[in-house]
Amino acid sequence: MRSTIESSLAGATLTDSAAPGINYQPEAMMPDVKVLKVGGQSIMDRGRAALFPIMDELVLAKDNHKLLVCCGGGTRARHIYSVASDLELPTGVLAALGGYVPRQNARMLQMLLARHGGIFMLHDDFEKLPLYFRLGCIPIMTGMPPFGYWEKPTETGRIPQHRTDAGVFLSAEVLGAKRALFIKDEEGLYTDDPKKNRGATHIAKIGARELLKSNLPDLVLERVVIEYLTRSRFCKELQIINGLVRGNVTRALNGEDVGTIIYQD
Amino acid sequence: MSEFVTGDGRTHIESKLMRESLVDQRTIARTHSDRELSILPNVTLVGIGGQSIFDRGREAVLPLVEELSEIAGKHKVILGVGGGTRVRHTLSIALDLGIPTGGIAQLVGAMEEANAVFLNALLAKHRSIVMQREHFWELPLYLESGMLPIVISIPPYHFWEPPPEGGPLPAHGSDFGLFIHAEVLGMERIVFVKDEDGLYTSDPKKNKSATLIEKTTLHDLLANMPSELILDKLLFSSWKTARHVKRVQIVNGLVKGNLARALAGEDVGTVITKN
Repeated sequence: MRSTIESSLAGATLTDSAAPGINYQPEAMMPDVKVLKVGGQSIMDRGRAALFPIMDELVLAKDNHKLLVCCGGGTRARHIYSVASDLELPTGVLAALGGYVPRQNARMLQMLLARHGGIFMLHDDFEKLPLYFRLGCIPIMTGMPPFGYWEKPTETGRIPQHRTDAGVFLSAEVLGAKRALFIKDEEGLYTDDPKKNRGATHIAKIGARELLKSNLPDLVLERVVIEYLTRSRFCKELQIINGLVRGNVTRALNGEDVGTIIYQD
Repeated sequence: MSEFVTGDGRTHIESKLMRESLVDQRTIARTHSDRELSILPNVTLVGIGGQSIFDRGREAVLPLVEELSEIAGKHKVILGVGGGTRVRHTLSIALDLGIPTGGIAQLVGAMEEANAVFLNALLAKHRSIVMQREHFWELPLYLESGMLPIVISIPPYHFWEPPPEGGPLPAHGSDFGLFIHAEVLGMERIVFVKDEDGLYTSDPKKNKSATLIEKTTLHDLLANMPSELILDKLLFSSWKTARHVKRVQIVNGLVKGNLARALAGEDVGTVITKN
């Protein structure tokens, strides 16, 4: 005899995501939070010249917006992935190792923003966000989601498919924020990597399905993020801006469509 | 020696992935290898059902504990447990309240952790130990000293659970979690202990004409998926791209000796192989 608790799902099979017979109406946890990513290779690895003007804009914006700042990895993450691949380590170990670098970047950003209320947080502090915002803080965390060793292997290659773009998008999704903001060093999405192909042209606005169908080799954001965008419930828009252009961060936080918008179509 | 490379406004470390876009499929493909390191080979992961075993109480759990006590020291085994009916109740209440999917994923692990504590209380005198979330690097110590580590089974995706397909429930459940746990450590075998003889063509609790699938391959199973499964669907789709797990076995834990036979390599219950 199994001892069961009576509930609407007591007898259901539950081996996939379906919840038969339940009228699910999800609640947005904190829809007014602006979740943004400071790029690793694109911003942090440029040092003071790129980062300080962006921090100035964030400090000016922090009393008008609730900012959750997430950090990317960059060249040290690439070095880790490269060495780990050479040593034949599996994807899950790469994901766990890749987590160290964005965490370092988040800590550096916190030290620089401490006098303006910058506060470093771990994944396990996520439920304290309301407190940080109530106090006027700028919470700063890694962009990496906490999957680590539990990251799934991919068909080809072994670079973890969920990295810091995915973490930023998923943070926005669970908070119920409509748009996630990615601060990089290009104007957004191009038909190819603009750093390598001068003929690449800028795309100002594109649907997620349309983008996946176009089969571009380089998507500016991690592919899984675009895939998830086709079925997310809250976060329906991704904005990628060039943080090297002064004023872009402020304009984006005020809702302007600078850079590239990728939307749920 | 790695060199620093500058000149484009950024400071790079020289490596094969330097300056590369990690979202470029051509770059990703270059990191492919068929010779991935197996970190802990010759270890078997044993997943014990929540609803199927734990919710049956002492009549199902105590004989299994006895069997596990005889296994300790003989085989290198890592244990995982499911959450059972309390997970269903959590899901039911959370869905009614409109908790977002990531919030639900944050909640459900607590119920299986309770079962891990139950199991550890019963098995402690036979050298079991609850391993903290990702303390993987302690596993050699436990395994070499003949202990039975009990690990978390629901993966810690928590608030960051990806938007699921086809419904609101988190897709990354306990069967998937144990699978990926075995995979990342390079383990080749997983044994799931349930209250049925294995995988059937449909749910044997609802359909008397359901027949047991004794032996099959992942390929055949994916081509002809039973409508109701005994394990998470995601386990099978993830297995396709996995490098290490070769064999997933499902045995009836209500029959004494089944688990020991499975660990000895016998084809009891359902055996699914990668090829």
